[in-house]
Amino acid sequence: MSTATQDRAMAPAGKTGAPRSLARQQTAGRWMLLAPGVIWMMLCLVLPMLMMIYVSFWTQTTFSINSTLTLDNWAAFFSTPTYLDSLLTTVELWFVTLALIFVIGYPVAVYIGLFVRDKTVQTSLLVLCVVPFWTSFLIRVLAWRPMLGTDGAVNIILLKLGLIHQPIEALLFTQYSVVIGMVQIYVVFMVGPVAFMVSRIDRSLIEAARDLGAGTARIFFTIILPLSMPGIVVGSIFVSVMVLGEFATPSALSGDKVNLLGNIIVTQVGSLKWAFASVCGVILTVLMAITVVGLLRIVNLRREI
Amino acid sequence: MLEIRKVTKRYGSQTALDHISLSVAEGAYVSLLGPSGSGKSTLLRVLAGFEAPDEGQVKLDGRSLTTVPAHERGIGFVSQGFALFPHLSVFDNVGFGLRYNARKPLRDGVELRRKVLETLEMVGLAPYAQRQIQQLSGGQRQRVALARTLVVRPRLCLLDEPLGALDANLRQRMTVELRRIHAALGITFFHVTGNEMEALAMGDRVVVLDAGHILQVDAPDIVYNKPNSIAVARFLNRYNLFSGRTDSRGGIATAAGTIAAPQSTGPGQVSDFMDFCIRIDKIRVMPEAEAVSASQAALSATYITSEFSGAIITHLFRLADGRVAEVENHLSHRRPAEYVMGQRYSLVWPREDGIVFPVSPGAAEAAIRRAA
Amino acid sequence: MERQPILRVLLTGWTGLFLVFLYSPMVVLAILSFQSGPEGGPQFPIEHWSIYWYRQLFNLVPASSVAPLPLGSALVRSLTLALTTMVVSTVLGTITAQAFRRHFRGSGVVFYLVVLGMMVPGVLVGLGMALTANYIGLDRTWWGTVFLVHVVYTYPFAFLVMLAIFNRFDRSVEEAAWSLGVSPITTFRRITFPLIFPGVLSSMLFAFTLSYDEFPRTLFASGGDLTLPLTIYGTFSVEIHPNLFAFGVLTTLFSFALLAVYATLMTLSVRRARRVAVQEEIA
Repeated sequence: MSTATQDRAMAPAGKTGAPRSLARQQTAGRWMLLAPGVIWMMLCLVLPMLMMIYVSFWTQTTFSINSTLTLDNWAAFFSTPTYLDSLLTTVELWFVTLALIFVIGYPVAVYIGLFVRDKTVQTSLLVLCVVPFWTSFLIRVLAWRPMLGTDGAVNIILLKLGLIHQPIEALLFTQYSVVIGMVQIYVVFMVGPVAFMVSRIDRSLIEAARDLGAGTARIFFTIILPLSMPGIVVGSIFVSVMVLGEFATPSALSGDKVNLLGNIIVTQVGSLKWAFASVCGVILTVLMAITVVGLLRIVNLRREI
Repeated sequence: MLEIRKVTKRYGSQTALDHISLSVAEGAYVSLLGPSGSGKSTLLRVLAGFEAPDEGQVKLDGRSLTTVPAHERGIGFVSQGFALFPHLSVFDNVGFGLRYNARKPLRDGVELRRKVLETLEMVGLAPYAQRQIQQLSGGQRQRVALARTLVVRPRLCLLDEPLGALDANLRQRMTVELRRIHAALGITFFHVTGNEMEALAMGDRVVVLDAGHILQVDAPDIVYNKPNSIAVARFLNRYNLFSGRTDSRGGIATAAGTIAAPQSTGPGQVSDFMDFCIRIDKIRVMPEAEAVSASQAALSATYITSEFSGAIITHLFRLADGRVAEVENHLSHRRPAEYVMGQRYSLVWPREDGIVFPVSPGAAEAAIRRAA
Repeated sequence: MERQPILRVLLTGWTGLFLVFLYSPMVVLAILSFQSGPEGGPQFPIEHWSIYWYRQLFNLVPASSVAPLPLGSALVRSLTLALTTMVVSTVLGTITAQAFRRHFRGSGVVFYLVVLGMMVPGVLVGLGMALTANYIGLDRTWWGTVFLVHVVYTYPFAFLVMLAIFNRFDRSVEEAAWSLGVSPITTFRRITFPLIFPGVLSSMLFAFTLSYDEFPRTLFASGGDLTLPLTIYGTFSVEIHPNLFAFGVLTTLFSFALLAVYATLMTLSVRRARRVAVQEEIA
């Protein structure tokens, strides 16, 4: 080989390409693997979402819709008390549900992840939490009706135990019933991720802290809570996604008295008011985006995986 | 047969391999010696094709491997953890490369069986063919890994710390096994280790690597007797090391005392920086008062203790600069001596046995800065 | 932590109550499924115990004012949809995770693009898909638009599971295979895939479960033919009867049966492997 060719072959990775070929082969292969998934998400997720934003600016009359851009729908939303109320209610119930889910589910997750030593028992408990999911979500929602009504199971039991003398009216067809329903159905999404993170905590960390004289509260706040944070973040994201998009539970358990944004979307679509439905959709998207971005700043999820 | 030309590999700001060049002849057994972080595993991975070098090239039988992916190189690789296929039996592990080869898969069951059993026989594992991997001991797994690689008759076989996971006894036996297999098959071996004794025992050539640079390439006895730098001498763990400056009388003034340099080195400039080393088994311990002839070098030291390891006893002495010097006695040669702790003795050796390494002023300054 | 007895007792109690809370609707559901029919309604008290509604599900009772649930074809659709979604999203999840095994520029963007699929509420995805379908003149069908959004939903889950599996995967066995002259594709097939198979199985299970019961996305993206959840939702606005509860109980029992079969198979195969090992030792 002449010196010129020799030099070229030994040139640093660059435009001549020869020392780069292995790397280039790898990159080509990689994009082939990524293309199907990326294309699918772009076409079937990103595109529809963009469509929704676009349509929210369309002109909507009682009987037809056309693509002339206008802000009318948006103005209509923000100037109507009913819809603003609904936005408020959505945010309210979302926070309340999330808070309750955390308060109820976190101790359970800590118990399963930390206090249960036997792996089999741990797995069984988690399976127990997941089993209800095998009954259709909608049927489970419905099952609360006979539980919470004035003739419902809860009232019957409380009356029998003598804790109350009159059936509690407020249990069904109110905001409370919606919250109870949503909490019960979505609490598992918090327990799962948190239990997983907690079970990964090295026990010797806690022992070491004890040896150094730390009290239980101290150990909790400095070790358990921070290390379970990714689980809390993931759980909160899951719960928020579900709750913000809810309409079936309010519909079933409040007799259509509670109207979340999700319900509005459904009714609007029912009467073919696509533009207005899209407005609600965009608002929900904004709420969701703020939450996700905010939560992801707390924890770098990619590292945890 | 194998040519490594100016191979460079960087990981971010770290340079793992710095313009490494090396030629290996057919059928050789090359030991690659270096501490952790020296880049020896990286070099192996570049040769195997698992990593691409940033610069330079590797040529096997005259053909550049730059665009050749790992599975087409014909270079075998036995990793440190053996990487046996956990879901396959010993037989299936060893036969895997033959059965699923990209170019010429071996479909004939009878032929496959013959070759696998032949290779298993060679490593002494023929009765274990139907075992599952989990049932094997460390030494057995290592032999399966070896068999698996050898059965496909690669041009070159890379071994990454093959004896590291074994206990001393097994290591001894495997050393013999490897040499026997090498002689029987004539495959070129590339054996990476951090253990200097292993490197010297295995190879007919030793390559000493440090911080991505090749320090010395020679036959084992030359590396052992004539290290070409203080760094190599340090790896061998068989030398006492000193650094100082030449004085006007052919000696080297060090913090531990003045050392009479070998006369063959000739007069250099006075006050040149010098590194010096003397092998630990070349030193004799004499009473302090005893006179020293002109052909000998001597240093004064205080006795600390001795370490006994079978046929060898290593005496530890504290030098004037506070460092510890080792003196090794082979017990078959001498009666074990008794020394008194805290007593001063004279460490004496023939002047010519010392090795001197001139140091450039720049390197000396760098060394001082590093030590500071 | 374990040495705190009071805390342990409290937490055990809390978890116990939690499980009661979690299961109470199921218990109520089960009890009410034995309501007498066809006059009995989905509330207490139980007029008298009977398995009328179970028989009604299978059309084993004379016609009454209560229409039987149109479950047959909906069930088939849901199963088909769930199976195809499961396969497609697991394949997508696996190949995407495979691409993530070596760091590359833009990996962050791709990661969040995929994960976006599970972070957007179903209503919105469904709405968007309906709008897009209308705009480009595509019909909304259960095997078309609904299938597309089901995969959008389940693919991120499969992806994350496989990502976690690959992160813990020791690639030295793959490198060993390559060094033996085996091509990367064959290596994947013979070495990698068998070893990641438990992860693939979990992925598939996950995806199937999510798709089978998927509701909000399906509602909007669907055309005239309904899946199972949609059919059930259809009865919301009409009257609800205990046959729905009977259906719920049956599906739960069926899932339990599947789990039992799975667990038995697992235990058997583990025991068999151990027995083989022992036999070899003795031989």
